[in-house]
Amino acid sequence: MFGGLKERLQAARNRLNSSIGAVAAPPEAEPVATTPAPAPAPAASPAEPAKTASPTFVDKVKILVLERELIVSEKNIADALSELEMTLLESDVALPVTDAIILHVQKSLVGKHRKIGESVDGMVVSALKTALLEVLGKGFDLTEYIKTHPRPVKILFTGVNGTGKTTSVAKIGSYLHKQGFSVVIGAGDTYRAGAIEQIAVHAERIGIKIIRHKEGADPSAVLFDTVQYAISHKIDVVLADTAGRFHTKSNLMNQLDKIKRVMKPDLVIYVDEAVAGNDAVIRAAEFDKTVGADAIVLTKADMDSKGGAAISIAHTIGKPLMFLGVGQSYDDIIPFDPAGVVDELLDGA
Amino acid sequence: MMLQQYLKDYGQQAEIFVEQLNLLENGRMEASAAIEALEAMVASDDNTVLLQIGGGASVRAKVLEPEKILVAIGAEVVVERSNKDAVEFLKGRIMEMEASQKRVSETLEKLRAQMTEITKRLEYGYQQSQQMGAPQEEE
Repeated sequence: MFGGLKERLQAARNRLNSSIGAVAAPPEAEPVATTPAPAPAPAASPAEPAKTASPTFVDKVKILVLERELIVSEKNIADALSELEMTLLESDVALPVTDAIILHVQKSLVGKHRKIGESVDGMVVSALKTALLEVLGKGFDLTEYIKTHPRPVKILFTGVNGTGKTTSVAKIGSYLHKQGFSVVIGAGDTYRAGAIEQIAVHAERIGIKIIRHKEGADPSAVLFDTVQYAISHKIDVVLADTAGRFHTKSNLMNQLDKIKRVMKPDLVIYVDEAVAGNDAVIRAAEFDKTVGADAIVLTKADMDSKGGAAISIAHTIGKPLMFLGVGQSYDDIIPFDPAGVVDELLDGA
Repeated sequence: MMLQQYLKDYGQQAEIFVEQLNLLENGRMEASAAIEALEAMVASDDNTVLLQIGGGASVRAKVLEPEKILVAIGAEVVVERSNKDAVEFLKGRIMEMEASQKRVSETLEKLRAQMTEITKRLEYGYQQSQQMGAPQEEE
């Protein structure tokens, strides 16, 4: 997952390291030395051994500031930052998100005093880490949400066609089922041929009850029945599948509005595919504007080496990423954990 | 009945992957063609290229700045690169697409193996039901 982005971030990180390392290299020079030299040792300028004459206070400060510590200036890292910017854009990270990351890294590095013993790489990684964590947001813990809200928790899934909505509903159903929650699925995609059968087979395989009407039936009615079933059988979670639609089709969006009025969902989840890159981000923003979205699920993340959508989506539309779909089987869905993703991206020497 | 549904599901998924493979192949071909054009542009003396204007018609056109190439690098951002850098960038993209093609092909292979397995089981079930003399539901 996101292998390409990981590789590129590694290169950008090395570049930042060598730019900052170049500042550290000449021990007697001013800290604002420019012209990055090719990769000097990261922990340069070690503390000077004890002086023969007793040092004055000014001397001590001088040693501390000029020789032991390293102060990074904007100029030092400008080239490396512009390279990082290209890296992120090439990975389909949306422009505003790229700007936010660059600004954050710049802020955390420029004027930074490297403490004695702190490695340059450590500084760079921590700057990148906090920048990425900031744009990734906090994620969304669905199990915690269900535990702390009145049952049944009603979850409505929306999104464009062919992104894996129905499969995601089944995967999340299986995930919640394994977490010990009782789940009922509403087959609200009454439009696409075979969609009801598809979700019914999934439900049967994972042992979840499904409420279905005939093909072409009113999805609001199906989902209303599903909620009624959940209430009368004290079910914990209602997962409502819906037909895929583009936000530009006003009649279909009105239908979604009606569904929302009738079933009153606690959460509206927008599902799209990670491989769509920046398109997914734009569509998510449009959906959020028209029907609203409380959280995002990105499917096919295992096929996406760029990772642009996953990095950008939460920051762009201000809604958390909840799950990543990473394969074909029911267990191939992972709750989105920002810290884990960042560690994975910045992992390795 | 259930097996048939699996088969149908896998068939639909396989179709999506085949579509993705085609898209990747098209992208790869386009990038290769662009590299060829960029390299030829520098090599030629008078910067003349054939510019396709649709409908199979082309005109001869002079490239004003063959060294300044505008490249869409992703996230809907276009940057100016030197001819050499643009070629390097496109070569990198091709490598990425080839890696993706390999991954998609592997997944497709797995899906097809599963489909073959299901077909075998369906046939076996059908034969069994024929021998029993009564039609039976699979699994």
